Amino acid sequence: MRNSIKVAKWEMKRNLKNKSYIIGLFMTPLIILVFMLISSFMSGSEDNTTTERTDVYVNDQVKLFDEIGETVKTHDLNWQIHQTDLDKASLEHVLASSEDTAYLFLTEEAINQDKIPIFTSEDIPVNFMNEVQFLEGPIKLWQAKKLGLSDEELAVVTAPLSFDELSVDDLKEPSSSDKKEEHSTGLSQAVPGIFGGLILLSISITGMYIFQSASNEKKDKIAEIILSSVTPGELMQGKIVGYFVLGLIQVAVILGFAVPIALWKLDFPVLDYLLVPQTLLFILIAIMGYLLFASLFVGLGATMTDMGSAGNFQGFVMMLPFLPFIFITPVIGNPSGLIAKVGTYFPFSTPGVLMLRLVMLEEWPWLEIGIALVILAISIWLFMKLAGKIFKVGILMYGKNATPKEIWRWLTA
Amino acid sequence: MEKILSVSHLGKSFKDKKVLKSISFDVCKGEIMAILGPNGAGKSTTIRSIMGIIYPDHGEINFENHSEIPRHKIGYLPEERGLYQNVKVMDILLYLAELKDYPMKKAKERALHYLKKFDLEGKENVAIEELSKGMSQKVQFISSIIHEPDLLILDEPFSGLDPVSQDVFKDEIRELANQGTAILLSSHQMNLVEEICDRLFMMQDGQKVIYGSLDDVKMEYANFKCTIRGQNQLSDLDVIPGVQRIEQTDATSILYLEKDIQPTQWLKQVPDKLSIQEMSLNRISLHEIFIDIAADKQLLKGGEVHA
Repeated sequence: MRNSIKVAKWEMKRNLKNKSYIIGLFMTPLIILVFMLISSFMSGSEDNTTTERTDVYVNDQVKLFDEIGETVKTHDLNWQIHQTDLDKASLEHVLASSEDTAYLFLTEEAINQDKIPIFTSEDIPVNFMNEVQFLEGPIKLWQAKKLGLSDEELAVVTAPLSFDELSVDDLKEPSSSDKKEEHSTGLSQAVPGIFGGLILLSISITGMYIFQSASNEKKDKIAEIILSSVTPGELMQGKIVGYFVLGLIQVAVILGFAVPIALWKLDFPVLDYLLVPQTLLFILIAIMGYLLFASLFVGLGATMTDMGSAGNFQGFVMMLPFLPFIFITPVIGNPSGLIAKVGTYFPFSTPGVLMLRLVMLEEWPWLEIGIALVILAISIWLFMKLAGKIFKVGILMYGKNATPKEIWRWLTA
Repeated sequence: MEKILSVSHLGKSFKDKKVLKSISFDVCKGEIMAILGPNGAGKSTTIRSIMGIIYPDHGEINFENHSEIPRHKIGYLPEERGLYQNVKVMDILLYLAELKDYPMKKAKERALHYLKKFDLEGKENVAIEELSKGMSQKVQFISSIIHEPDLLILDEPFSGLDPVSQDVFKDEIRELANQGTAILLSSHQMNLVEEICDRLFMMQDGQKVIYGSLDDVKMEYANFKCTIRGQNQLSDLDVIPGVQRIEQTDATSILYLEKDIQPTQWLKQVPDKLSIQEMSLNRISLHEIFIDIAADKQLLKGGEVHA
């Protein structure tokens, strides 16, 4: 174990002194940041197109201008309203030369016919006609008043009806404050989940460096010198531990960027949601996922000299960590469905799928979590053993890639 | 002499091919023991078995006073060797010393000492990939001795070196042995090793050919040969007694003498009429002994040895 730690320390030191690693370390969060900025810039510029106000001219013959003004204010419509006494005859000329402009004719006659004419310029925001529907309220009120209803009657008639969507469960806890809390537990589950996913992704990506590191031992022909001091098992363990810590450094750097931004951009207490017991389970899943992929990569790295010479077989194994992506859509669609369960129990997709499900599900299926963790633990043990066997022989095969047949022979030896 | 390592009846097969057949020898403190043989004789397999890098099918390897390989006491320079390319010379030397549990401060001193000795002064902060092949080999050699090993195992230490570097290495190996380090080295360049080794183990096709001290081997197998430069007729040389065979090319004649001749006695029998520009009398080389014996034992196919 002492030797493993020495190897781990060396791998860390070597990478931390390496310029390309340092650049990569900070580039990852920066790239994420840049994408976030670009997307918020894009959505921001979309906002800009809608911030161009629509000029609404009202030919008001029923004295409703103030009420319309208030409706515009309460519904936060992006309108600039003006009063006008322009008649329909001269409209054609005015509208042809203007943009985002509408003319509304409020006449008693029109209101009585329940048809209010609006003339718009050719350029008009798509949802303008929907926004106009908000004016129904004040106009209807005006109508009712004209019919001589009292204020009380008015209040009853104009009070909006709403349909409340309830499930049977809600009978037990009818208060609306509970509902709000439920919403926040969803968030509090998502935050540790995202955190766990971040750890898994970072250390898995760093884990791919293990592959490179193992194949470098072959390329640089140093394996035999190292193995005169440590056993192959110690060398392998050292690499796995070393890159694990490097992965955590990557996580720390990302968090160093992400947490301040999250605190600044999002208006909920991210840290409070993060510092909950659930986070520990997500971290456990992430670490187990790392160990599985690390053993895969370290064994694989020992079978080839460089990435460029990877055969079909090796290429296929390299893709295994991305397996959970296949499951994303079905799992989001039905987090308790058959596909989600299959994904949970297949070791290479377990970490990703399980995390996704735990974020989606309000009630955690503890039995399934337990089974999945046991499967994962057994797989880690098995793949570490197999990787050890491959590593021991493969690392000394300088300048030659192992064929699947040879690998099979080492495994069964 | 105090035995440091003993190998007995080592056997190993790869698939159906037997590459080691009952190999036995010892390595003692302060001596240079050489494993000699052509390419493919089984030298590296023997060494890798000793280092625990491959496992022999049968036979025993014993380190004095240790039940298993005392990795920290052994220095090892493999045949196929290299160093991490993108790290600094001092970093890799200190790492390899650390793996051997050698104190860092002493390791640093020794690293600087040897870098200076091997003409690499000031290169400690240079990346390995910027060094020439010869420089890199010197760094590899330093890495194998930085922790003051009791036993130094060198697999083909001279391969790929220029003659000047070969001499530097030879001197250093001799000096280490004089200081008490047990040294086991392998080589296919027998003439090089002949100059420094105390004892030798010659092998061919995984089998022992000769094992013993250099002097004994020479005494037993190395007859004298007399090399004469000058135009001479074969018939004139034929008459000299005590000659096994004669090789003649252009103006050089080599007379292989019988085993038990007395050099001084024999010289008196050289006819006066011979034309002698130069003349030397010495024992035949290890290489020639090897070929003679291997041929005798019918270990050589087609009589060709790459040496």
